[in-house]
Amino acid sequence: MKSPAKLFDEFKTVIYKNYGENPGKMLVHTGVLGWILSSLAQIAAVVFNDKISKEQKVFLIPQEMADAAANIISFYVVTNSVKALGSKLVKTGKLSTPKILAYLEKTGIPIKSKKGIESPVGKWDFDITKLANFDEISKDFKQFKNGVDVGASLVGSIVSSNIITPVIRNEYAAKRQKNAIAKMKAKQMNNLETPKGISLAEYQNIAARHPYSSGLKV
Amino acid sequence: MGLIIFIDLGRNMVSVSSIGNSYAQNSVSQKIGTIGRRVYNSIPNTVFKKDYWIDKIAVMGKKCSSAEQRLILGVTALATQPFIDAHNKSVDEQTRKVSVARTIAKIVAGTLTGFAIRKGCIKAIGAWSKKAGDVDKAGNLIKLTKLNTFFTPKGKLAKDPDAFEQYKNALGTIVALVVMMFTNFLIDAPLTKLITNFLIEDPKKADGGKKS
Repeated sequence: MKSPAKLFDEFKTVIYKNYGENPGKMLVHTGVLGWILSSLAQIAAVVFNDKISKEQKVFLIPQEMADAAANIISFYVVTNSVKALGSKLVKTGKLSTPKILAYLEKTGIPIKSKKGIESPVGKWDFDITKLANFDEISKDFKQFKNGVDVGASLVGSIVSSNIITPVIRNEYAAKRQKNAIAKMKAKQMNNLETPKGISLAEYQNIAARHPYSSGLKV
Repeated sequence: MGLIIFIDLGRNMVSVSSIGNSYAQNSVSQKIGTIGRRVYNSIPNTVFKKDYWIDKIAVMGKKCSSAEQRLILGVTALATQPFIDAHNKSVDEQTRKVSVARTIAKIVAGTLTGFAIRKGCIKAIGAWSKKAGDVDKAGNLIKLTKLNTFFTPKGKLAKDPDAFEQYKNALGTIVALVVMMFTNFLIDAPLTKLITNFLIEDPKKADGGKKS
């Protein structure tokens, strides 16, 4: 069995290898974890707030739950997709820098289509990182790609968390609120009792027991 | 015998129809893929020619940690989310008001604590992840101890300065998430409640009553 110190060293190595060269991936993964934890706290905050009425809680608790689910799913799907698109744009050379283009020219890859020879740069199947002498440009390329990845992750997270999620959760929570209020009203109606009638004999008995009650004078 | 032939025929019919379905699905996904590739290939290439933008993009990749991401998300959230909640016609006016107040409170509380804790934890991890050759603010060589190298990865891993910075950001964020498991309940939730109650209270009423 491995010692705790050995396990800790392995953990550090895993973090370094997974996220050291891929900050965009780190932002997506830690973002998802962060949303899960903060959503739990926000649900607790509504549940234990006495100043929010029962009707409002009926709306706000599902809103929080919908918020959590929509946040986590849309954050991961949208942010990851936008980040993947950013990576693709850089890897295929759709987005590039003069240094990257100079490297491609040096490698013998036409950067513009000329005289019937089509340039592969910017095409879906082209991948700069697969080139044999990629090491020559890897430092500049990685710096540029990491920047684009982080930028794309930011754009994806803004779109998912601040636009898509609030719209989805409001729609979902409003439906839940309507259903819940309808159920509450139905329950109240079921519990209602018809006022019982009173006979003249019963009324006279009560009146006799409360001779000074103005409401019960015959 | 007749029954066996019938069952066998049925099996064959099912498998033929499933083959037909999967063929149709493959054909549709192939067409979508081809169209997607054509659209992608038709987008013109963009070259960032100015060093200013290339440097800015590189700096964003190096310096933008989860703390900065949280801050940017919070600021943009304040500009969009209360507006979306205020225009939610599916609920009554009073619920809408409470919803807007809660959204603002949640963003403010979450952003303040989220940014501060992430930044603090990343800084703390940085202080305990020193490596040979690191210098202090005065330019003096830092003496390595067990404590200040506690989070430094072993071996040659720490040699790439950019990857090492990202490693510290990632580890700091993970530690921050653990810390936030407690602060979410101890700070975030009460602060959200406090700000929500402050926002839904009517300042016109001397007794601090709620808006009707």
